[in-house]
Amino acid sequence: MQELLERIAARSSGWIELRFQGRSTKQIAVRNGELEESSSKRIQGIGIRALVDGVFGFASTTDISEQGVLRTVEAAQGAARTSASAKKQRIKGLAEASLGVGTFPVATNDPLDAHPLEEKLALVMKIDERTRQRASSIVSSSASYAEIQDEKIIVTSDGARVHLFVSIPEFRVMAVAQKNGDQCFGNKSIGVSGGWSDLFNLQAPEEMADYAVQMAVEQLTAPHPPGGLATVVLDPGLVGVLSHEAIGHTVEADIVLGGAITADKMNREVASELITMVDSGASEHLPHATGTLAVDDEGVVTRKTVLIESGVLRSYLHNRETAAHFGVEPTGNARAFEYSDAPIIRMRNTYIEPGDTSVEDLIAGVDDGYYMCGLGFGGQADSNAEFMFGVREARRIQDGKVGELVRGATISGNAFDVLHSVDAVGSDFRWDLGAGTCGKSQAAKVDAGGPHLRCKATIGGRQ
Amino acid sequence: MNNETQLRERCREALELSKRCGADEVEIFAQTSRAISADIEKHDLQTSSSQQETMIGIRAMVNHQVGFACTNVLDELVATCADAVKLANASPKDENNVLPAPVAFEPVADLYDPKAESFSVSDAVQQTIRMIETADSIDSRLILGGGTFAVNLQTRCIVNSRGIDLAESSSLFTYYALATAKDGEKVSNMAFHFDASHSVDGIDVVPVAARACQDALGSLGAVRGESFVGPIILSPSAVQAVLVSLFAFQLNAKNTLRGSSRWGKLLGETVAHSSLTVTDNGRMPGGVATKSFDREGMPHRELTLIDSGTTTALMHNAYTAVAMNIANTSHGSGSARSTPGIGPTNLSIQPGEASKDELIGDIKQGLLVNRFSGSSNPISGDFSGVAKAAYLIKDGKLDRPVSGTLIAGNVFEVLQNLSGISSETERVFTAILPFLRLEGVSVTAE
Repeated sequence: MQELLERIAARSSGWIELRFQGRSTKQIAVRNGELEESSSKRIQGIGIRALVDGVFGFASTTDISEQGVLRTVEAAQGAARTSASAKKQRIKGLAEASLGVGTFPVATNDPLDAHPLEEKLALVMKIDERTRQRASSIVSSSASYAEIQDEKIIVTSDGARVHLFVSIPEFRVMAVAQKNGDQCFGNKSIGVSGGWSDLFNLQAPEEMADYAVQMAVEQLTAPHPPGGLATVVLDPGLVGVLSHEAIGHTVEADIVLGGAITADKMNREVASELITMVDSGASEHLPHATGTLAVDDEGVVTRKTVLIESGVLRSYLHNRETAAHFGVEPTGNARAFEYSDAPIIRMRNTYIEPGDTSVEDLIAGVDDGYYMCGLGFGGQADSNAEFMFGVREARRIQDGKVGELVRGATISGNAFDVLHSVDAVGSDFRWDLGAGTCGKSQAAKVDAGGPHLRCKATIGGRQ
Repeated sequence: MNNETQLRERCREALELSKRCGADEVEIFAQTSRAISADIEKHDLQTSSSQQETMIGIRAMVNHQVGFACTNVLDELVATCADAVKLANASPKDENNVLPAPVAFEPVADLYDPKAESFSVSDAVQQTIRMIETADSIDSRLILGGGTFAVNLQTRCIVNSRGIDLAESSSLFTYYALATAKDGEKVSNMAFHFDASHSVDGIDVVPVAARACQDALGSLGAVRGESFVGPIILSPSAVQAVLVSLFAFQLNAKNTLRGSSRWGKLLGETVAHSSLTVTDNGRMPGGVATKSFDREGMPHRELTLIDSGTTTALMHNAYTAVAMNIANTSHGSGSARSTPGIGPTNLSIQPGEASKDELIGDIKQGLLVNRFSGSSNPISGDFSGVAKAAYLIKDGKLDRPVSGTLIAGNVFEVLQNLSGISSETERVFTAILPFLRLEGVSVTAE
């Protein structure tokens, strides 16, 4: 296949990118002891992007014969030509980039295919059973396992020759507790880039189940928090969500050009000087972050990109087109989820660098506030960095001690205001968004995390 | 139609292959789609694209054990059928895994416009240009940060071992605009509008772009709001964000079986104010989700889910209908990529008699929420989020646009305190929704 794509790229007129993707996925879901899903999916195809007269055209096909690929090249070039007649701003060129050449395997000693379906199904059944039996108030339980395995071949007419592999397993647990007709739910999910044993490196599935049950049961009797501005300690999960969802999207160069709040903030202070934020194709600090990617879908070798350095905005996230527009090097953020998606600017592993305050000291410094852990139900952010996230676990902090759980808490505000208010950064680090899928017209597997942070944010609740 | 014939033949072939692998019951669901789209980014045409794919999903049963496999690699159909049977053999038995038998029906008319076949990439590009020109004609501070015009020509085919053998083609044009207004340092909320048409003649992108632009302009210069507990008016878009996922969850019979639906146990009881009637109609003329049959080949029909505040029916697919010994309501949902779920088609909240302005007219202090950015928990009913493109209402009039205003409440409670439903309705994706006035909602100005 690589040889065919290289041959077609070599004789193409104009710039062209050919991307073969073969994907296998498996999904097992059990709820209340009953199998909800046991499925496998196998898809393959080729996505082709052509640049003609300064305009991209894209076409995809499942016909991977030479004739099929050639027809799709023509469709992509035709779409580009048609668009060129209407587009005002032409692409002046693609930025020079370090293009990948070679094979890029998954870093694991325990491949997913070495573990049979029966083993995975048995684990899902066992964890669902444990969740349901753990407390008498649990009325519904579920556990699920999913895996994505990709093989990609990326060839561009200017030199990328990439053979890339992806392996991402995920595990989720959910519990619903009920009392007097009132229902609350608790959940926990984990996802990694790697193999079977890498998935439960940080937390055993039994512990995930126990946590989900505890959250569901405790919330039944928890009060709603009063709304208003509060001092909060955010755990690495929420720090990751804030970094990815509320800040990260506003520094994606396509969003910047669409009018994001960061458009005129380059090299200006946007956060407390304690904050350094990074998006990287590598899994820094700890291994197996889900967004780990050696080469992006334009064939560009990924880099560690410092977005905010000691509070000052230093970089956007680029593909080759936006890098040329801004006169900088591409950062390796062009990604496509399936063969039928054209690459767009996406994050990879987004995080805040750890600081030097212990988590105990962060909490001890709060007289009256909240300790907030993980993304709960729902969340959204705008290109002006206004955000609102449901919180999975929110507890009062009084006189420096973490206390009672509050129910249905949300956190909101302007993400840059929140980062300006940071007065201490934890010395710990954790990836926490591995089971998350980012949506931006197409899906992407990303990760995010960081240390604990102490800051101010608006707590939503009910008065 | 040629496409339908070819697809049926592949489905029948897969059915026989799966039986030979050991399945005693089999369902083959296949979709062929040809799609064209043109995208707007940064107030300019970004790119246009085309794609074509055939996906076949195989649900195999062996003694009521079920497995599912799908593929778009049609050369590997034998392996995919074998995979589905292998997954079934490894799965626990569930007596409720039964495939439905055929039911006669009249196909829905006007789902497919033959003119759509000649709709080209160039035609799609022209529609996106029209959206950008609409924004330009309204105000120079407007940016269409995003938008898409897409065409999808689809053929669905379902064949099962109990005799269902159906195919249907449809054409659907969908389009949306995302507008932001920028004036110096001031950046408005992002405003979104969407519409769709099954026919070429029904396409009209101008109102979609214009409404997104007007909402974005309206929220420019928004100032801090006020905190109070009182009435709010949700726009159709906000109703969709706050209520529709809860309706879909609570009225899903599978969630009743799972023990996670409150309304599932309250059939025939009052769950909302008597002014609320909710229906679902998979045959609605012009509806985005309109099709003759569901994911399992059962004919769509209109169903009243909530009648004057009382729950009257749940949505079922074949599994829940067998498990609960009740008639299937043809709400099998999903694509060839997954096993059938349960979901609404064209869900509608029936309009009221008062106009939107009349709903605002007798509010002393309140909030109009044009877009809701937050979470609405379909299990607990708790909702909490930011009111976007919101206006403070004072003495029966829109007073000023406000930003950073949080709203929070509980859907189960506010539905009891529903104090108004507008006569105007709008299409929000697949739903048809009015403006709703809710009482006793907590509004917090940051």
